[in-house]
Amino acid sequence: MQRVAIVGAGGMAGVHGAAYAKMPNVKPVAVVDVIPEAAAKLAGTLGVPSFTNFDEMLKSASPDVVDICTPTPFHKEYAIRAMEARKHVVLEKPMARTLADCRAMIDAANRTGVKFMVAHVVRFFPEFAAIKEQVESGAVGKPAVVRTTRGGGHPGRWFADYDQSGGVILDTIIHDFDWLRTTFGEVDTVFAKGLIDRCLPNLDYALVTLRMKNNVIAHVEGNWAHSTSGFSVKVEVAGDEGLIDFDNKKSVPLVISAPGAGGKETVPQSPLMEDPYYRELKAFIDCVESDTPSPVSGEEGMRAVEIALAAIESIRTGKPVKVGG
Amino acid sequence: MAVKIGVMSFAHMHAYAYTAAVCKLPEARLMGIADHDPGRGREMAEKFETRFIPSYQELLKEDIDAVIVTSENCMHKELTIMAAEAGKHVMCEKPISTNVEDAKAMIDACRKNNVQLMTAFPCRYSPAVIKAREAILAGRIGEVLSIKGTNHGKMPGGWFIDKAKSGGGAVIDHTVHVADLMRWILESEPSEVYAEISNAMFHDKYDDCGMLSITFENGVFSTLDTSWTRPKSFPTWGDVTMSILGTEGVIEVDLFAQSFSLYSDKDMAAMWPGWGDNTDYWLVKDFVSAVAEGRPVSITGEDGLAALAVALAAYKSSDAKAPVKV
Repeated sequence: MQRVAIVGAGGMAGVHGAAYAKMPNVKPVAVVDVIPEAAAKLAGTLGVPSFTNFDEMLKSASPDVVDICTPTPFHKEYAIRAMEARKHVVLEKPMARTLADCRAMIDAANRTGVKFMVAHVVRFFPEFAAIKEQVESGAVGKPAVVRTTRGGGHPGRWFADYDQSGGVILDTIIHDFDWLRTTFGEVDTVFAKGLIDRCLPNLDYALVTLRMKNNVIAHVEGNWAHSTSGFSVKVEVAGDEGLIDFDNKKSVPLVISAPGAGGKETVPQSPLMEDPYYRELKAFIDCVESDTPSPVSGEEGMRAVEIALAAIESIRTGKPVKVGG
Repeated sequence: MAVKIGVMSFAHMHAYAYTAAVCKLPEARLMGIADHDPGRGREMAEKFETRFIPSYQELLKEDIDAVIVTSENCMHKELTIMAAEAGKHVMCEKPISTNVEDAKAMIDACRKNNVQLMTAFPCRYSPAVIKAREAILAGRIGEVLSIKGTNHGKMPGGWFIDKAKSGGGAVIDHTVHVADLMRWILESEPSEVYAEISNAMFHDKYDDCGMLSITFENGVFSTLDTSWTRPKSFPTWGDVTMSILGTEGVIEVDLFAQSFSLYSDKDMAAMWPGWGDNTDYWLVKDFVSAVAEGRPVSITGEDGLAALAVALAAYKSSDAKAPVKV
């Protein structure tokens, strides 16, 4: 039985909490947030005590695993404090705002010997796993051009503060960077254009071109602007023997149109027996219980941050940026 | 009085659609077809119930007002200048030429001989594009910030992959349509291009994948995927799309989305036959009426050159591994 404490009580914490609540070998034991009402609300849902002080929580709830869902700039501090208390750590993506922070967490995990996973959940989305499998099986031949799209409206709140979130590039399309490098290998060059320094309220958007070391060209669209149809995720993989084309708007097995709070509401859904967050967190709990390697290591989390920061640098300098070079 | 038209070469497949449009238009008359491939020329003349004229010079001696140039890209200059010197108006297939000097020579020759030169950009006649442009110019999505464009296709083969005749591969073939639409919609000129180009589809001597990042003088940034990445089994030839982001809204344009799905055991393949407007028809109709009315053509040789310059800058950027000025 793994005792799990959740740090930060925002939207993602709720999703993680709901996943843990369904796992027979996990017992949620605490929610921590600097905002007492937020901590209490999620803690109430999970039936666990709430805390506003991290160290107090560690002492009082004695978790085995600490799951950190705070805004990005606080990742390093809580992760390292948890590791030093010999707690296994699940850390929401993006790993950090800077490579130095990433490195500090990796070092702390190595020093303390705890399990450490960066929650790159897209790997655990069955559609992304299935596309990767098809690519690896050679279904489209040798990959040539890959296109991804992710986004919808602006998330608002602390995400609107670039210094905290890193904007749509570091916060959102880092998902695609992670999936691209796990599927097609490491990135060589990044060229990007975006709105990062335009200071448009609640509007961020980026078009990023990656040249992978194996010559694949990838185009990544990140959208925190307007949307014609809610949250959109698209993937296209073109190879020399075929094409894969995925659009979440076309993979809708269920639509419920019924009276709701704001009048009639139509909700398209793609339900799964085990949602991707459950799969992701279960994989981490499994690695803790069986003492096997973390499903997404700190090094991998850092690689994704490196690509995102290269894209931001490219926007600012107007030049292509080499990754890892 | 119908506008009398001759067709110079059927090397480019768009010659079919343009010639069919001429035949359909009551205000135009097809006077003959010339082609340096006489077999092809004769066959097409028979198909369109017109005369095959054995040489371009002879075609230009006929009583015609205008010509449609649909040869290989490398011959656009020669045929256009020949027509201009014979006093014929010209509608030339895109890309206008394979290099800037040829395009300039074509523009100069037409100006000097007082004939019009139109570049064939049929995408400007897509009702979806026209309405999107109207909405943008009316300020309905506020200030435009970016455009994500695609012009995917299947590898066309033939002379399209012979650089000496085409000037390049997917990048020269598929940059110009959307580059033209972007210029037209934004009313701004491309200032800088960065491009990643490869031959990862067919591993041959020509480029088949292109990812352009085009910045405009007004600050709008865009990307354009020009790749020949539609496999042979793809249900349609390709696409032209633009996702246009503004400060107040977004416009998605998918020019050929007016289609349905067809599953036929005759081909053992799915297909997406289109049912939208025939943009080639409206392009030719506009050219014919410009000639008939003596008004300036809607899409000039300069427009053709401006779009070509983006493709040429992309090749330069790919070689330099850096953004280049257009």
